[in-house]
Amino acid sequence: MSDMDGLFGGLHRPVSRRELLRRAGRGSMYLGAMALLAACGVEAQRRQQGDRPEPLPDQPAGELVMANWPLYIDKGPTGSPTVKGFEEEFGVNMRYEVVINDNEEFFGTIREPLSAGQSTGWDIIVVTDWMIQKMNRLGYLERLHHEELSNFDANAAEKVQDPWYDPGNEHSIPWAAGITGIGYDVEAVGRDIVRFEDLFADDLAGRVGLFAEMRDTFGLALASMGIQEPDATVEDVEQAQQMLIAERGKVRGFYGNDYTDAMARGDLAAAMAWSGDIFALALDNPNLRFVIPEGGGMRWTDNMAIPVGAEHPLDAHLFMNFVYDPRIATNITKWVWYESPVAAVQEQIRQDVADKHETNVSCAPFCDDLAEDTFVFPTEETNAQTIPYKQLDEEEEQVWNDLFQQVVQG
Amino acid sequence: MAYLLLLPGGIWLLLFYVVPTISMLSVSLQEGSLEQGYRLTGNIGVYAEVLARNDTQIIRSILYGLITTVATLLIAYPLAYTIAFRGGRFKNALLFLIIMPFFVSFIIRTIQWKFVLADEGIVLGTLKEVGILGQGFHVLGENVAVLGGLIYNFLPFMALPLYVALEKMDKSLLDAADDLYSNRVVAFLRVTFPLSLPGVFAGSLLTFIPAVGDFINPEFLGSPETTMIGQVIQLEYLQNNDYPEAAALSFVLMAAILMGVFVYARLLGTEELTG
Amino acid sequence: MTRRGWVLPAYTTLVLLYLFLPIAVMILFGFNDIRGRFNFVWQGFTLRHWTGIWDTPELTDALKNSLLIASISTIVATSLGTMIALALTRYRFRGRGSTNLFIFLPLATPEIVLGASLLSLFVTANVSRGIGTILLAHIMFNISYVVVTVKARTQGFNREWEEAAKDLGATPWTAFRTVTLPLIFPGILAAAVLAFALSIDDYVITLFNAGATVTFPLWVAGASRFGVPPAVNVMGTLIFVVGVTLALLAVPLQRRRAAAPVAPPTGRVAG
Repeated sequence: MSDMDGLFGGLHRPVSRRELLRRAGRGSMYLGAMALLAACGVEAQRRQQGDRPEPLPDQPAGELVMANWPLYIDKGPTGSPTVKGFEEEFGVNMRYEVVINDNEEFFGTIREPLSAGQSTGWDIIVVTDWMIQKMNRLGYLERLHHEELSNFDANAAEKVQDPWYDPGNEHSIPWAAGITGIGYDVEAVGRDIVRFEDLFADDLAGRVGLFAEMRDTFGLALASMGIQEPDATVEDVEQAQQMLIAERGKVRGFYGNDYTDAMARGDLAAAMAWSGDIFALALDNPNLRFVIPEGGGMRWTDNMAIPVGAEHPLDAHLFMNFVYDPRIATNITKWVWYESPVAAVQEQIRQDVADKHETNVSCAPFCDDLAEDTFVFPTEETNAQTIPYKQLDEEEEQVWNDLFQQVVQG
Repeated sequence: MAYLLLLPGGIWLLLFYVVPTISMLSVSLQEGSLEQGYRLTGNIGVYAEVLARNDTQIIRSILYGLITTVATLLIAYPLAYTIAFRGGRFKNALLFLIIMPFFVSFIIRTIQWKFVLADEGIVLGTLKEVGILGQGFHVLGENVAVLGGLIYNFLPFMALPLYVALEKMDKSLLDAADDLYSNRVVAFLRVTFPLSLPGVFAGSLLTFIPAVGDFINPEFLGSPETTMIGQVIQLEYLQNNDYPEAAALSFVLMAAILMGVFVYARLLGTEELTG
Repeated sequence: MTRRGWVLPAYTTLVLLYLFLPIAVMILFGFNDIRGRFNFVWQGFTLRHWTGIWDTPELTDALKNSLLIASISTIVATSLGTMIALALTRYRFRGRGSTNLFIFLPLATPEIVLGASLLSLFVTANVSRGIGTILLAHIMFNISYVVVTVKARTQGFNREWEEAAKDLGATPWTAFRTVTLPLIFPGILAAAVLAFALSIDDYVITLFNAGATVTFPLWVAGASRFGVPPAVNVMGTLIFVVGVTLALLAVPLQRRRAAAPVAPPTGRVAG
């Protein structure tokens, strides 16, 4: 079958027609039924990543297409001021699309072109740290040209540099970070929630929710057992799984993004939650609280990366550098309410509050609260309560996924 | 002449359905992982494996599909009947109205349903206030919410073919039947209903087949206890990246459905229906 | 029909109300004067979301894409599907039975696998993803729905009428146009609205084959993190109002068609 791998594997750039014909000619020897099946099938994935990054073009193309998550950039009456500012300053026509709702779903839709080295249509994507690691493992991300990212080197907070999931930031730089903990309506619950197990109190049965994302739910369950995810063994995960299965009857469901509307409507009194969301929801319901449970909460980082085969890599670098300008990063953070990778943002927001800066509309009337929020700007103490994800290899990931599937699918 | 009529559509389906499906068949017989790559090993065992592992979800899906089909048939038949025989010049307009809610995205429909059915929402909240329901009562996350969603979303798939079949009936024939049997119910059972069987057949298949494989309704309205096979396939594909299992499971589902269609066609009994 | 009574019309009205319930909520929340970021609690009446209706170019583009794709895929799929339905009910030929069964296969294929395997095909053939590939996919899954719906009409269809027209000197095309087409037209119309709805509502298959193109459901999915944003409710309302208006405008046309010959008696009564 090795020649069949040659037919589809090992492609980086789109192949020329002649090359394709040559490979097809080689493949035609196998035109039996099995070969036909194989030819249609999923090809071998792994590609060898070069040591040097793909060279960038001399001139920007004037086009940029970016995929991001909902509510992740500042917003004005007619679109994002940041996007508009970038377009004006660099003469780039930028399409910013909100199409990522789930790391795995998004990965599913771009995997096939990536494995063939074809353009996915996106120049910049934003995915969570463990997905960066997975895509890197598969060689799906372009190496970044740090000489084009001077703002990153100058302004990035120390703790976002050289992260566990991407040593040396070779393939990614952070967009924003946050914490997975528990959100609850203090009036509906009637008390404060302090531990993960508090979700399973009998009087809350049917009014609590967990995440459908394996990494977060296992992470919190492990933490409640006193185990940090990076140290967890398969036996630990099995124990966490048993605990979750035992309590499953009290859980309304396993949620994705839609836990927010269930909380706002009052269907959920308490649920696993992401820090910035609860800040946003609390605008309308001041009874909502966010807490990092006693054993610890998960710390995640969403990162910008350039998928292989991207058509406008230089323009992508220009934008990635642009958002590391402290002024721009501040504007974004004031709307997004998640932690910025730029160190100077907290001070800048305090300054803006004093100056009554025009961008304060994004956070008004809570700009003061935002500037001092310990989840948006974690203190040493907050950081000590958070746990990174474990770096899983493919086999481990498979085992964890199988265990989790038994939890969510009855 | 028949082949000429079949040709354009046939070529389309050949290129964009049959070819990808053969590739899927190939995927189902491969082994490997994302990093190692996938090799065609002819691993037939995967079929028995997925069948054994997911029998609960498969049975549940078929059951939900059957309930949905029967419920939509009962709701849609009088609807289609009224539009066909009493609609007059509003026939087409009414037909259009039935399908209009489906021109706005399912996400909008689902979110609005959740608003209507929320624990403290306009329906349940009011009933709880009056004391008809207990405080802990809820609909979202239960069987009934998933079935409700399925029935709502597949109603037009049943109503439209029923209407199409009923509308073509010769009205004078039905009037004659009324005279002949004197009893309206008997007339309906002996004449109208048998004549509408092509619509019943088409409508129930357009409902049952996609409903069995549905994943949106259980995903948004259900809980672990309501997991359907469509969700398992989704999960195998997206989260586990186990493409061979996802493909094998799809073929198991397709085979089960196809057998069902065959039996159903024989049951309704006429060669005309399946050819 | 001479049958009278209020039960059936009342019932029909009730079912329509049930179908429109979420739509009513959608329309209402397009007027919600939201103060925070999300739109699922009623907070007061405003018209401001309507005045800025075209202010979100991405949403407008997504809607345009969806309308274009739905229109073209409806026309093509309805034509191709109707031809297949006619072939299957009016002719006897080798392979007719299996074709009849085969038509149900695309309906039975889980969406995600259908979407993913189609993407695989496009990648292998190095076809770049966009509106074109979405169209190819939508036409493909719509064909089966059209065939099944139109067949519900053509079944038991009496070819003798057409033959009679031919005997009277009509060309086959004239016979088809003046006799067959008016008889099966309600089936074609129903199939077309079904195809349009399926296309404009599709999420999974589009997601896989869209590349960086965004359609209405894709945009809505991305924007609905905190409830459906009012701009989407406004767009949804607009689609709805335009659709209902078109339907009502068609009413006078219907009167003219009502004068066309009624369907011939069907050949056989089952049971």
